Amino acid sequence: MSNLLVDVRELNLWYGKYKALDNINTSFTAGKCVVICGPSGSGKSSLLRCVNRLEEFQEGDVLFEGQSLRECTNIASLRSEIGMVFQHFELYPHMSILDNITLAPRYAKKKSKPDAEAHAYVLMERVGITDQALKYPAELSGGQQQRAAIARALALEPKLMLFDEPTSALDPEMIVEVLRVMRDLAMEGMAMLVVTHEMGFAREVSDEIIFMDEGKIIERKNTEDFFSNPNSKRVQDFLDRILVKI
Amino acid sequence: MALNYDFEWGLLLENPHKEWIIEGLAHTVGLSLTAWVIALIIGILIGTIRMTQSPLLRFIGTAYVEFFRNIPLLVQLFIWFFVFPLMLPNDLMFAWNRLPHVPLITALLALSLFTAARVAEHIRAGISSIPKGQFDAARSSGLTQVQMYRHVIIPYAFRVMIPTITSEFLTVFKNSALTLTIGVAEITGAAKAIEAWSFHGIEAYTVASVTYMTTTAIVVLFMSWLEHRLRIPGLIARK
Repeated sequence: MSNLLVDVRELNLWYGKYKALDNINTSFTAGKCVVICGPSGSGKSSLLRCVNRLEEFQEGDVLFEGQSLRECTNIASLRSEIGMVFQHFELYPHMSILDNITLAPRYAKKKSKPDAEAHAYVLMERVGITDQALKYPAELSGGQQQRAAIARALALEPKLMLFDEPTSALDPEMIVEVLRVMRDLAMEGMAMLVVTHEMGFAREVSDEIIFMDEGKIIERKNTEDFFSNPNSKRVQDFLDRILVKI
Repeated sequence: MALNYDFEWGLLLENPHKEWIIEGLAHTVGLSLTAWVIALIIGILIGTIRMTQSPLLRFIGTAYVEFFRNIPLLVQLFIWFFVFPLMLPNDLMFAWNRLPHVPLITALLALSLFTAARVAEHIRAGISSIPKGQFDAARSSGLTQVQMYRHVIIPYAFRVMIPTITSEFLTVFKNSALTLTIGVAEITGAAKAIEAWSFHGIEAYTVASVTYMTTTAIVVLFMSWLEHRLRIPGLIARK
């Protein structure tokens, strides 16, 4: 398969004695949006963080475009091919939004300042925060901050975007504005891995859904099948609990 | 009992007193400022390597801090002044002793390295107070360790630490008085000399005290100006 982007092979991760990921085998292709869901503590975020080796896994390997993360000696360069968005935004508070967005392009990607800034304005336009360019993160609303964080990740011109519960810290009306930006990205064909509890988003936007529990992948299906006929009892229970019924 | 003492403030403006005061002032301010800058640079370096993942670097950092922090400054001054030259190979020792201003250089060395250990501890505490997500964000964007500390972690930590850094700065100034013991003609030494020469101790030590208080007041004002300038908009609420 030529458009294989990430290949996860027999991945095991422990935090001390606690086994967070239990023999994960899976892969992700370019141009697809995959949602990872499951109860808290199921290993969703851990799996996501292994894809750019923010977590140092003990066993197995992750291949990014065929390159082994375990054997990778220049992990910084590899990480600059992957954008990441966090639950709590993690913008750098002492820098303006513009500087937040241009930092990694300038230093990790060696772009000139004018080039990085020109690109930053294009991205800010795209996520609708151009007016905030010279403000500092704490002066923005949560939704604006998360959109700025998405622009910062996109500034790497990544081949893959990782989203780690991007809307969990937001008020409902701000969730929508962030999800819209993510939907547009997915529609443009960006490869995305999204850990989220937003099942509405998953249903509408994602191509596939992975359900995890206790460090294992319980089920992986294309989105329609996942909702209409989940195989396992655990997935059904989860969906029953998470989908609000009136 | 009335104070049996003739105040003669004018004698402070007479030579040799005036010369001593000017020289003392220059030495105190120059020594403290230089020591401070060197201590900041070394301290940031040592404090940062103690937070890295390399066990060797962490060990070097810890060893440095524990060594320089746990020996009294006065003893360190004496070690640098009396013991250090003896440990040099012969030709180096002669070269060292022929340097101009050996006491001043020794004082600078001792004061800088001692203060750096304290700065390193403040830096470490500052870095520990930074949310883990900031490291994640910087690392995930492809910054190297050095770039991450240089652009994200240290500038952030520095802002959090300005008040502690300020009080450490004041400590350097006051600690510089100890260097009179190895013959540095700083302001306390000048006061001592004036007192010995003229028996006018009150005037002499008033000059020294006023020097310290004025200088530290200027530093405090400068640092609060800096704190205000570097404050993170929207985050640290200060007018």
